[in-house]
Amino acid sequence: MDQFVILCFAVVNSIALLALISLGLAIIFGMMRVINFAHGEFVMLGGYATVIANHAGVNLWLSMLVVAPMVVGMIGAVVELLIIRRLYGHLVTTMLATWGLSLFLIGAVTAVFGNTTMGVSAPLGNIPVGAYSIGAYQLLLIAITALLVVCSLLALHWTKYGLIARAAMQNSEMATTLGIDCDRVYAATFIIGAAISGLAGALLAPISGVLPHMGAAYVARAFVTVISGGGALITGFLSAATILGPVEALLSYFATPVVGQASLLLLAVIILRLFPTGVSSLWTGGR
Amino acid sequence: MNLSRRTFLRSSVAASASSLAGSLVGPASAASDTVTIASVYDLSGPFDVYGAPSNMCTEFAVKELNKAGGLLGKQIVLKAYDCQSDINKGPQYAQQAALRDRAVMAVGALTGAAREATRPVLRKYKVPYFYGSIYEGGACEQNIFCCNTEGNQQVVPLLEWSFKNLGKKLYYIASDYNAPRTFGAWNHVMAKREGGEVLADDYYPLDVTDFTAAIAKIQAAKPDFIHSCLVGGPSMSFYRQWAAAGMLKKIPIVSIIFGGGQEHEILAAEETNGIYAAYNYFQELDTPRNKAFLARFAETIGQNHAYINGEAIGGYNTVMLWAEAVKRANSFDRDAIMKAWESGITWEGPGGKMVTDGPTHHTTQDVRIIRVENRVWRLIATKEQIQPDSYGGRCDVFAHPNQTEFLMPQM
Repeated sequence: MDQFVILCFAVVNSIALLALISLGLAIIFGMMRVINFAHGEFVMLGGYATVIANHAGVNLWLSMLVVAPMVVGMIGAVVELLIIRRLYGHLVTTMLATWGLSLFLIGAVTAVFGNTTMGVSAPLGNIPVGAYSIGAYQLLLIAITALLVVCSLLALHWTKYGLIARAAMQNSEMATTLGIDCDRVYAATFIIGAAISGLAGALLAPISGVLPHMGAAYVARAFVTVISGGGALITGFLSAATILGPVEALLSYFATPVVGQASLLLLAVIILRLFPTGVSSLWTGGR
Repeated sequence: MNLSRRTFLRSSVAASASSLAGSLVGPASAASDTVTIASVYDLSGPFDVYGAPSNMCTEFAVKELNKAGGLLGKQIVLKAYDCQSDINKGPQYAQQAALRDRAVMAVGALTGAAREATRPVLRKYKVPYFYGSIYEGGACEQNIFCCNTEGNQQVVPLLEWSFKNLGKKLYYIASDYNAPRTFGAWNHVMAKREGGEVLADDYYPLDVTDFTAAIAKIQAAKPDFIHSCLVGGPSMSFYRQWAAAGMLKKIPIVSIIFGGGQEHEILAAEETNGIYAAYNYFQELDTPRNKAFLARFAETIGQNHAYINGEAIGGYNTVMLWAEAVKRANSFDRDAIMKAWESGITWEGPGGKMVTDGPTHHTTQDVRIIRVENRVWRLIATKEQIQPDSYGGRCDVFAHPNQTEFLMPQM
C-alpha cells in the first residue's frame, strides 16, 4: 500500500513537471504560433532570479513566486520588443532568432555567474508515508502546477482578456477591424508566457538547482509535450502530459530511466502518427 | 558561490597570463635557462569545477619549485592550456605543447575521454604524461605516470569499510558512462568478498534532473547504504531531492566522486550532512605536513583559494613527483625520468607517503574514508599504503613495454 502511494506520487509528479515546464511554451506557441527556442533559457533565468534573490536575503517564497516571474516577464518584454515583434509570421526566422537568443543567454549567464550549479535547499521538510517518505515541497509543486493550469484555463475562457486573446489568435484581421490592438495582445501574451516559464524555473530551483545550460534538459520535453498536445491551448498539452508523464515515470521505476526517457519520445512519435495535429484534435476536430 | 566564480576568474587570468609568458619566451631550447611544462586542464565549461582547482594546484607546485631554485638549475615555465571541457582540445593542445613549446612534461586532460584522446599524442612525441585525476584504473603504458588513486585504491577500501560498518545491502546509483560502469563492477566483486549484496545497479543519463522515480525505487528496495557515482551538475539534483524526501538521515550514502566537484560546498549543509567519501587527500587533514603545505599555499595563492579536494591535489602531486624523478635522473629526458620513476621514489606529500611503482607506473599511497558535516570533512578511517592494481600481471610496462590499450578489471 505504502509502495503504491509512493508510486502514485512519482506518476503525478512526473505529469506535473511536464505540465509546469510546458505551460509557458504552450501559451506562447499556442496563441502566437511563435516557436520559442529560448524557452529553456527563460526557465533557467527564473531559476537564477530565485537563487540570487534568495541569497541576497529575499524571502524564498517571495523570490520564487514574485521576483522570478517579474524578472523573466521583463526580459520577455525586451525580447518581444527587440526580436519577436519584428518577426511575426516568419516561422523559420523566429526559430533561428530565438535559438540565437538561447545561446546568447546561456553564454551571458555563464560569463556572469560561472559554469557551476547554484541552488537553494527545498523548504517544508518531508511527509512520512508508512516506511517511506516524500518531500512536502514536491507535493506543493504539484498543487501549484494544478492551480496554474486551472487559472490559465479560467483566464482564457472566462475573462475579457481571454476572449480578446482568443479572438486575436483565431482571426487577427477580424479582431483588428473590431478595434483590438493585436500587437499589444501578442506582446502581453509573450510576456505572460515568459513570466510563467520563469515561475516554472523558480519552482524547480530548490529540487534541481540551476545551471547555465539547464534549459536544454527542459526545452525538448516541453516541445514534445506541447506538439503532442496540439491545437487546444491548455487541455491539449495537459492531456499530452497526462499520457507521457506516467509512461516515463512507470518505466523509469520498473525498467531503467533510459527506457523511461526513450519511451516518452517513442510514445510522442506514435501520438503524432495517429493524430498529426496532436491529441486534442480528438475533441477540437483537428483545428 | 562566489568561490567558484572567483576561481574561474582567477584561473582564466592565470591562463592568459601564462600563455602570454609562454609566447614571450618562445620555444624553450636546451640551452635556455628555463624549461617548459604544459597543463591541459578544463578551465571553462562543465568540467571547470574539476579542472580549475587542479590547475591552481599545478601552478602552486611550479611556483614552489621555482622559489626553491628551479630544477637542475632551470626555472620552470608553466604553459597552461584550457581544455574547455572538450575532448578534441586535449590532443590538440598536447601537440602544440610538444611541438611549439617543447614541453618536457604534460599534466591534465582529466576526464577519461580526454585522457584517452591525449595519451597517443604525448606518447608519439615522448612527452611524459603525468596524470593527476582519480580514475577507474587501467591506463598502463610506458609514457603515462598515474599520480592519483585508481579504482582499487578508492573503491575497495570504501566498500570494505561500508560493508563492515553500514550494512550488507548496497544500492548503486550512477551516471551512465564508462567510468561509473567500471566502478560499478567493483560493487559485485566487493559484495562477494565481504558477504554483502548488490540490490541494484541504476544508471542515469547525465542530463536527468528528476529523481522522484529513482528515490521511490530505492525506498522500495530498502538498502543499508547507497553507493553513488553520480557526476555533473544536473545529477546533483539527486542529493537535493534525497534530502527533501527526508532520506538523508535514514540511509547513508557513500561515494568515490562526491566532493571532487566541490559538491559539499555547492549543496546546502542539510543536503549533504553524513555523506561518506574516500580520497587520498582532503584539505582538513590534520597532519603537520599538511598544515605547513596549506600555510605555504595560502601565502602564494591567497587565503581564499578554492577548496583543495582529492581530485585537485593531483595537480600538485603530479608536478612534485615529476620533479623528484627529474632530480633523481638528473635529466629532463623522458627515458631517464622513466628509469628514475621505476626505481621506486618515495615522496612525502600533503596527503602522506607516496611511492612510485615500477611495473604499473602508478603510485602506492594512503587512502582516507571521510565524512562531511556542515561542509567540513572529518576523518573516519585511514588505509595506509595501498598498492596499485597489477591487473593480474597485465599492467606491467616491463613485461609489455609496447602496451597501450586500456585495461578492464578482471572480475
